[in-house]
Amino acid sequence: MEMDVVQELQGHSDRVWSVAWRPDSGISGRPSMLASCSGDKTVRIWQCSSSQDLFIQHWSCVAVLDGMHQRTVRSCEWSPDGKLLATASFDGTTAIWENVGGDFECVASLEGHENEVKSVSWNCSGTLLATCGRDKSVWIWELQPGNEFECTSVLHGHSQDVKMVLWHPCEDILVSASYDNSIKAWIEDKDREDWVCAQTLSDSWGHTSTVWTVSFDASGHRLVSCSDDLSLKIWDSHSNLLSEGNLWKHLCTISGYHDRTIFSVHWSKASGLIATGAGDDCIRIFSEESNEKSTLGGDLTYKMVLKKEKAHITDVNCVRWHPQEASLLASAGDDGVVKIWKVAGESLY
Amino acid sequence: MSKFSAGLKLGDLNDFIAPSQTCIVSLKGVKKNSQPEKGVIRMQERVQTTEQDTAPVKVTLHDCLACSGCVTSAETVMLEQQSVDEFLKQVSSAEKAVIVSVSPQSRASLASYYGITPLQALKKLTTFFKSLGVKAVFDTSCSRDMSLIESCEEFIKVYKAQGTSNFKGQKRGFPLLASSCPGWVCYAEKTLDASILSHISCVKSPQQAMGAIIKRFACANMGLKVDEVYHVTVMPCYDKKLEASRDDFVFSIEGNENNEQAGTARFTEVDCVLTSGEMLDLLQGRCSDFMLLDESPLDRMLTNVDESGHLYGSRGGSGGYAECIFRHAARELFNKELSSPLEFKTLRNSDFKELTLEVEGEVVLRFACCYGFRNIQNLVRKMKTGKCEYQFVEIMACPSGCLNGGGQIKPRKGQSGKELIQNLETVYLKEVNVSNPYENPIIKGLYDSWLDHPGSQKCLQVMHTGYHTREKNVASEISNW
Repeated sequence: MEMDVVQELQGHSDRVWSVAWRPDSGISGRPSMLASCSGDKTVRIWQCSSSQDLFIQHWSCVAVLDGMHQRTVRSCEWSPDGKLLATASFDGTTAIWENVGGDFECVASLEGHENEVKSVSWNCSGTLLATCGRDKSVWIWELQPGNEFECTSVLHGHSQDVKMVLWHPCEDILVSASYDNSIKAWIEDKDREDWVCAQTLSDSWGHTSTVWTVSFDASGHRLVSCSDDLSLKIWDSHSNLLSEGNLWKHLCTISGYHDRTIFSVHWSKASGLIATGAGDDCIRIFSEESNEKSTLGGDLTYKMVLKKEKAHITDVNCVRWHPQEASLLASAGDDGVVKIWKVAGESLY
Repeated sequence: MSKFSAGLKLGDLNDFIAPSQTCIVSLKGVKKNSQPEKGVIRMQERVQTTEQDTAPVKVTLHDCLACSGCVTSAETVMLEQQSVDEFLKQVSSAEKAVIVSVSPQSRASLASYYGITPLQALKKLTTFFKSLGVKAVFDTSCSRDMSLIESCEEFIKVYKAQGTSNFKGQKRGFPLLASSCPGWVCYAEKTLDASILSHISCVKSPQQAMGAIIKRFACANMGLKVDEVYHVTVMPCYDKKLEASRDDFVFSIEGNENNEQAGTARFTEVDCVLTSGEMLDLLQGRCSDFMLLDESPLDRMLTNVDESGHLYGSRGGSGGYAECIFRHAARELFNKELSSPLEFKTLRNSDFKELTLEVEGEVVLRFACCYGFRNIQNLVRKMKTGKCEYQFVEIMACPSGCLNGGGQIKPRKGQSGKELIQNLETVYLKEVNVSNPYENPIIKGLYDSWLDHPGSQKCLQVMHTGYHTREKNVASEISNW
């Protein structure tokens, strides 16, 4: 398996924290669009000029979203229909931008978090937004007509900084990852008219240090998490062995491959490969080991199929697979650069 | 785990105290270091510590709040344990007359727990407290009637002054926000700016109104001087402890010829707050069977009990502010007498309800009850974007309101939280007559003999308060770097 740079996207003047592909990139001839957010308080929108060949260097910056955030923009996510972009900032606010014919206009600003907002996520229907931050809380917002947002719930439970929130790809289940080493799953309890923590993944099978990122596989049955404890964990919700009240079961732990904090992990919807970005400047790719004996919870393993050293000259903060094109990967680093990669090899398809 | 309301849990409740952020209060009185001469190395003498020097420095919650509002979870633990010990100490020392004011929510909590009526609960509590040495047991439903009357007067004033002249030197506009919830007030002071604070009603809560009534006036009728009274309240939440410790509720009495000291003496309206849960612990610790306690006659001086022995008060587990002011406004401003129970319209969820009054097809009054942090967020958002259409909002930090306060007695085994709240809503008014605060004879008497009339200058001095944005000092901001 090989991985080569397609293009290096320069422009940010500080570390790039996150990148996000617009969900409809490449569908029906739509150009691929990538958003990146940075410590320079801006968000940049990059677009590939040709939808035909994504592997020739013609990505360019088509918009810079600035003037809203007073501090680092830590996370950016597109709504499922690609019309809105949510940006979470250390200034405590989450801004919502609307793409109006190529221009991005800030249409809403969500306040309420006490301090830095670390992550934002849209649910699969685009009706709910989740945010989380250093104030240890997770907020759920509901989109109202006219791009208005109403706070639906303020969830407490984590005992430390919440690093990431992510909605399940098909159902309204919210997952959060925290500095308190745990992962929590939240669901709506209609009786209580509120959201509650349905499960906490910690202790015996859980991570032993900060959980930085989580990512679902295409079906949403599996979840991968990465941590400062140098391991990846795969969690499964498909098993008949799951007891009542427990959505997720630990499937396997992938360790021994990373020697620095794993900051980011992403599960490709197109290929099923898992990519990681770590504090040792490397990007690694893992593939499920095809094993005939493999049963759930039994012989499932993942093997590393690629290690790209010096992917960035600094920590790799974020890795994201293209939503449609299996061989494309984007990464963001402390070096202020966004890189587009082409991955080639047998494990890809 | 902190038992304070959600608004207080957030922010500043942070066990990580950065080096420059350590509490400065205890360092007051540290000896001054004189400047050494230039070029001279001073050898510091080792100071022998004496017994007295090693006594632990006590930082009271009051000091903490006065500083920058950094309440760590260590302080909350201290706070939570402090009250019962203090109460017992005072009661057994018999230095001061201990007066206990029980909130109707706490009385309902106890009544629900034992399956009795609020009247029975209050009577048994009277027996219990008096057996400990307490001098009198009163009911904050009584002082609440004064808070309600003052709130009604305030609303009418603001309504009439709308868009025109200043009110109290500050432009007051709608919505007017209820002030009786300290969880809401503390949150607003810490996180919201002055423009929102200016909307909060200046009327004191029933707890503080009771404190003012007892210490500034009524204690004399009991043959007590203000410095001889120790006032304890029993409340449904922990946030009320923070309210009691506010500087705004400390007052001085002017000195007289005999006692030059009195002019500088300062007293606090409420000395100690016990939660319903703490009261139950006390009962279970000291009383073999609560149900066997006699039902003592109630202390009528400041208790809402009528001649036939029935308890009375306003409807609404969180004080009934919206309902009471709505009725008063309908009557005073639009000549409408609303007698039947008011119909609240549930909006987003059952913790966000609306009341509207239509006159000739036009909505003239629009009030809301907004409980719980998430609903408060939405209300504040609307206010900030100028889209709030309400004239008055009864804001409470706890979902389901005060009956669900953090200090209430927990559900029994097998009882769900929801079942308990439903039970509390029923028990709260069980055999309690719903009454109009303006018709409370005790409160009428207080106006006649002390405060002149509702909304008077004296009322503004004694029954009203103010709010302050808590500016974060540099030290506490360092952790935000």
